[in-house]
Amino acid sequence: MESAIHTEHLTKIYRQRLIAVNDMNLDVPQGSVFGLLGPNGAGKTTTLRLLLGLQRPTAGRAEVFGKVCGPNAVRVRSQIGYLPTNPRLPGHLRPIEYLDLLGKLCRLPSQVRKPRISALLRTVGLLGATEQRIETFSTGMCTRLGIAASLVADPPLLLWDEPTAGLDPSARRFTLDLIRELGKTKTVVVATHILSDIDQICDHIGVMHEGRMIFTGSTQDMKKRLRCEDFKLELDGDAEEIGRLAHDLARLEGVDVRLDAGPALLVRMTKDHSCAGVLAEVLKSVDNANLSLKAIHSGPNATEDAYLQLLQEHEAHGFHC
Amino acid sequence: MDSTAEVVKLGPRIMPYLAVLQHDLMTLRASRLVRLWLAATVVLTLMLMAANWTRFQDGPLIASLLFPYLVFPWFFIVVALGVSPVSGSRADVVADGILSRPVSRSAYLLATWSARVVLIWGVYLIVMVPAVIVVTLAKRPVPGDTVTIYGIVSAMGVVGLVLTFLTSLAFLAGTLLRGPLLALVVLVFLWYPVGLILSVFSLEQFSPISLSRAISTQLRQTLSTPRTRADSNARAEETPVLTEGVEYFLKVFSGALSAPKATKPDFFESEEFRDFSLLRIVLGYGVPTVMAVVLAMLCFCWRDL
Repeated sequence: MESAIHTEHLTKIYRQRLIAVNDMNLDVPQGSVFGLLGPNGAGKTTTLRLLLGLQRPTAGRAEVFGKVCGPNAVRVRSQIGYLPTNPRLPGHLRPIEYLDLLGKLCRLPSQVRKPRISALLRTVGLLGATEQRIETFSTGMCTRLGIAASLVADPPLLLWDEPTAGLDPSARRFTLDLIRELGKTKTVVVATHILSDIDQICDHIGVMHEGRMIFTGSTQDMKKRLRCEDFKLELDGDAEEIGRLAHDLARLEGVDVRLDAGPALLVRMTKDHSCAGVLAEVLKSVDNANLSLKAIHSGPNATEDAYLQLLQEHEAHGFHC
Repeated sequence: MDSTAEVVKLGPRIMPYLAVLQHDLMTLRASRLVRLWLAATVVLTLMLMAANWTRFQDGPLIASLLFPYLVFPWFFIVVALGVSPVSGSRADVVADGILSRPVSRSAYLLATWSARVVLIWGVYLIVMVPAVIVVTLAKRPVPGDTVTIYGIVSAMGVVGLVLTFLTSLAFLAGTLLRGPLLALVVLVFLWYPVGLILSVFSLEQFSPISLSRAISTQLRQTLSTPRTRADSNARAEETPVLTEGVEYFLKVFSGALSAPKATKPDFFESEEFRDFSLLRIVLGYGVPTVMAVVLAMLCFCWRDL
């Protein structure tokens, strides 16, 4: 698969003091929804700004659709729709004026610009706010307008920096659905530290830590990095019965069982055993013990666990990824 | 290729430039600073006209109206308007909102510079053109003067050029120093002793004070007739009148301030005073203006945002 974004030894050092991006090699496949994951200060925003040419790399190079990024790379920016974190918008303008200005900056003729602006305002749910000045907008409305702004030129690549930051649950849901929808036709890069967002929308992930890209690959690849798979069984019944069940299950091969509050059982399977087989045995034992099974939670935090594991490994190994 | 096709191609190419220019002009026009400046310059012009109506001939009166643009106090406004486009917190808004789009940095910078120059010229001409028309056409109880249309246009052009130069200098300072307040302070400290600095290099005729004194003579120039000794003598005789005018202006404006003195008083009495050359002034201010814009562009095109 061809790369939408390709970086080679991309490095950014601020004033010879702070290493924001450290020797980054990255390939983002075309058509993917790529989650750029990392804690605050990991270098995600700097990476996006390097791709946009807002900042110059100290070393290395970055390419978007085969074109080299830089401060004067207008052709690169014409391929990108950028949404900054909490976008700072010109407050004295109204949404249509702002989008019209951006359309002109993207060299869109009036007959293309005008219908697209109204379609975008409808898409992001701001049709009712066209009379308002942007300075009166809430955070969520600003983000929606920022999203519309990034889509004005209908670019094939979207770089969205923390698109769900500061959004209420419905706005967040809307944004995630929109990313999923856009991901069908475009390459979308979402920089965030919110793992649940990544889990829901991304098919590829890059994990950054202290300026380094410590993992790139598919979401499945990342989850596979987990040492083991955990299940939590929520049970209904006598505590003594549950304790007895835990004791019996502990005898099973390839499984580690612990009692948890709830009451619940935490079941951890080791790698060299069939997950499905062991789980079937466990469920059979539950049934035999006359306990009722309220719920099974199978690794709801798999991405989070894998992510934290990656960070721990990176901190422990120093230079090695 | 026929010219229509060229125009069609040029349209999209300059669309971002025109969009930024239009947007900046609208933003500036709506700003309090510009509105206050416009109001203040109208009031000051009316005050100066009223105060000197029966005292000065056309030339010195127009020169006194141009003085605030050349020396004080509009220098501050022009500089304040010039320093801000790509400095301070505005730089972030610009980066996120405009320079992340397919706009070249040079096009953006040129457009914001053009917007400021157009606005400053606009405010200056909106006030000065009617004032000059009133002064030249009105019947006043003073002896007639030989002010010419060419003289008025060239003198106002020179003042406009100085304003353009100041804008460009502020633009460069704002881009280099990044902080608008710092740039403003640096320019104030640089511009006020400029007469002293220029006198070191024997370039007094370029100082704003010298220009303001030479303006009334320039107002009487014609396009075809070269200057004569008589003109120069008339100009030399007028110098004390103009100095008095400047003193009067400063008293009107600030109460107790004394008039600024020429760094070399004998400069205006010497033969050098006759060497006021429009071409030299245009080159003397025009070339640094272009250099300031080019330097600002070079600096801005390669820096991080």
